[in-house]
Amino acid sequence: MYELARKALKMAEKAGAEEAEIYYVANHSTGVNFKKDSLDNARDRFSEGIGVRAIVNGAVGFASTNSARELESSVEIAVAEARVRENDPDWVGLPSNGKYPTVSGIFDKKVETLGLEECIDYAMALVEGTKEFPGTLPTSGGFTRAKSRQLILNTNGIEIEEESTAVSGFVDVITVNGHTSTAYDFAVSRSLDIDFLALGKHASELALKSSNGIKIEPQKTDVILHPFALSDILEEALAPSIDADNVQKGRSGLIDKLGEELAAPELSIYDDGLVEAGIETSASDDEGIPSQRTTVIEKGVFKTYLYDSYTAGKAGVKSTGNGSRSSYTSTPSVGLRNFIVDYPQTDIIADTKSGVFVNTVIGAHTANSISGDFSVEARNAFTIKDGALDKPIKSLMISGNAFELIKNITGAGLDVRKVGGIITPSIRISDMSVIG
Amino acid sequence: MTGIMQDIKFYDCRVVEGSSSSIILDNGKIEEISKNFTRGAGVRALCGGSWGYTAIEGEIDLKHGVEAASKLAFSMNANTPKEAIELAAVNSPDIGNLPEIRVDPRNVAIEEKVDLLKDIEANAKVKGVHSTKVMYLESEFKIEYRDSYGLECAYELLNVGFAVSAVASENGVYQAGRESRFGYGYELFEKENVLELAGRAGNTAVELLKAITPKGGEMPVLLDQELAGVFAHEAVGHASEADLVLEGDSVLEDKIGEQIASPLITIIDDPTLHEFGYYPFDAEGAQSRRTEIIRDGIFNSFLHSRETAAKLGGTPGNCRAQGYSMPVVRMSNTFIENGNAKFEEMLEEVRDGMYLIGSRGGQVNTGEGIFQFNAEKGYLIKNGELTELIRDISLSGKTLEILNHVTLVGNDLKMTAGRCGKAGQLVPVSDGSPHLAISKALVGGA
Repeated sequence: MYELARKALKMAEKAGAEEAEIYYVANHSTGVNFKKDSLDNARDRFSEGIGVRAIVNGAVGFASTNSARELESSVEIAVAEARVRENDPDWVGLPSNGKYPTVSGIFDKKVETLGLEECIDYAMALVEGTKEFPGTLPTSGGFTRAKSRQLILNTNGIEIEEESTAVSGFVDVITVNGHTSTAYDFAVSRSLDIDFLALGKHASELALKSSNGIKIEPQKTDVILHPFALSDILEEALAPSIDADNVQKGRSGLIDKLGEELAAPELSIYDDGLVEAGIETSASDDEGIPSQRTTVIEKGVFKTYLYDSYTAGKAGVKSTGNGSRSSYTSTPSVGLRNFIVDYPQTDIIADTKSGVFVNTVIGAHTANSISGDFSVEARNAFTIKDGALDKPIKSLMISGNAFELIKNITGAGLDVRKVGGIITPSIRISDMSVIG
Repeated sequence: MTGIMQDIKFYDCRVVEGSSSSIILDNGKIEEISKNFTRGAGVRALCGGSWGYTAIEGEIDLKHGVEAASKLAFSMNANTPKEAIELAAVNSPDIGNLPEIRVDPRNVAIEEKVDLLKDIEANAKVKGVHSTKVMYLESEFKIEYRDSYGLECAYELLNVGFAVSAVASENGVYQAGRESRFGYGYELFEKENVLELAGRAGNTAVELLKAITPKGGEMPVLLDQELAGVFAHEAVGHASEADLVLEGDSVLEDKIGEQIASPLITIIDDPTLHEFGYYPFDAEGAQSRRTEIIRDGIFNSFLHSRETAAKLGGTPGNCRAQGYSMPVVRMSNTFIENGNAKFEEMLEEVRDGMYLIGSRGGQVNTGEGIFQFNAEKGYLIKNGELTELIRDISLSGKTLEILNHVTLVGNDLKMTAGRCGKAGQLVPVSDGSPHLAISKALVGGA
């Protein structure tokens, strides 16, 4: 369908679109998955499609397809839909004048040409890693490699094509002697720099350490959130309020808060589409706006919301390059790029006299995305005593509020981790409510 | 290729073709009208103990797909040979039980749909609500299945639905109310009285502004039909999926025939019901059928694919896929059967505790049998009576403990449609229950 993208743009103009955009994406992924400690399946997936935005009289229509035969009718449907809609006074126009930065580390030829045998080896490394700690078995997991190609064209002269690669490993482990406990570990990267053996090893070690947990009294205490736990909470309870679309529609807890000191004075947060080898790194966002680094929180002060082209036009500001699409079947909306949490780092567990360390949480998606309130079940949690992890905790709920959480940060670990696009160390929060 | 094909014991193909349309009305403005057409195929091949799987989109060459999947399976098996996988036999399914559609949504003009959304929005915008969003979804698809044993079958399904959310705010506090319904035929909107539902979403948002966040802890609780349905699906249903059992990731492993729940509890999975989880045959061509997961407290059956049914002994029919993804064991319409308790009786039984209503989602760890759900709202129960409205409450605990702590089961079963995620795939499901009284559960609050 790649060859048809330019033709589709012409078709849209011919069908009566005043402005039009063609978003083409192709993806080829290969995954090798295991169940228990043996390989179960290998999967190859080719996907390719085109999404068409057509604008008539300041109204947008959208249609998409993965079938070359249906492309012409999709273009016509997009134009017809735009005609049904009333003029949108907030529509400014599709992006134009794209001058793109150079980004690096997002394409690795080795990943593109990786053979099935090598994929099998990486998957087996995850399994082998778990065997370093007897008493555990993997339940499921796997290795995946992917290559994507994306092309954005619009009638304002935008034309940007990018290629990228990604690999990931995931392993889920359960203890098999007596007290059942589970743990997982995963990593995503642009190239083959993941230590798959270590992922398996960590998951096993954590599952073992977590068994035979104790019960603790409900209390308010220092809680250290591992990057896995923190990124889940930030994504569900904080990020939605930074999204300019939610702000404009009255669904954000951060309305009218620009310029206010909202967070701990040493905390800064950046949204950065340019990070070397970042999972959300690319020269352009998903609608042709050049990527950039945006300071969201600087030394505790809230600096800006994140915008795609539409919400920026509506607010009369410049897009921050956060136009994001999950597939060719969706229109752009505001999404995080690499989201970097920055706080002075120390050996955080050693610096904590007493408290709780939480590796992962379940239920973060049940957070109230407007008020920032969350109540989640902490997994692989441990008590901290005199600067060291002490005992595993059987069952623990932690609840709080994302806006309070960023105010109450009192420390960060040395363990910066890329959890997909969220890049953060472990973070210590004072006075958090835990129920054992 | 011929060399390889001798070792391929089984292969199958699913061709899926369909389109989906959506209209989004946000704060009074049409935010999006979109239509997506896709065609694709998923091909599986089995060689010894390994599966190969290929997904292709657009113009489909099935012969090539079968070859590619076969090559993957062959290489996997050659690299890491293991015990051969057996598959339970399936017969040609009967497709006679498709849901009836009286008003075909494809014959309803887009302008009429937009007008409906505007009416829904107007009803959700009760005094105090300052932001609303209404979504209309329509999807039609055709599935053709065939396997190397000669099974061939196909069906078409068309579903519609809507979701409305309303947000109210006061002094920096934001609260939301949501309602959604999904089903078959445009008559759904009248049948489900969507305008009234929209008003309910608006009222919930406004009421919640005044709600208190209670102190959490262990206490007796009363669950409404929706939250109890989420429990049946998340905590019990997932743990009974046989693929998780075989992975060693289920607390229900080795529990068949055991009393695992209060004798008041019977839990069913039934894809033949015309609820949102309906299908005539599953992603392996197996006829859909009703399964009693728990009967009178005794664990009765796992949910199976062809592979797990052969391995553990059982009947296939619960293997599903999103689009042309690789099928996995899934639920359909999962519910707790009616008991005979009246609501007032149940309040009296709980006496001092909480009434938890609705769900903002949940998650479960099937291996350890631990779950966490957030309720949309609730009421404190004092002296057997409902008192203050509460919010920001969650329920967590151990599946097997909660099942045994059920003291009363209501007689007011209600189903709720939704989408369930597993293995990165979403499939339509419904879940439900009557009200449940539970003697002891961990509730999270302030």
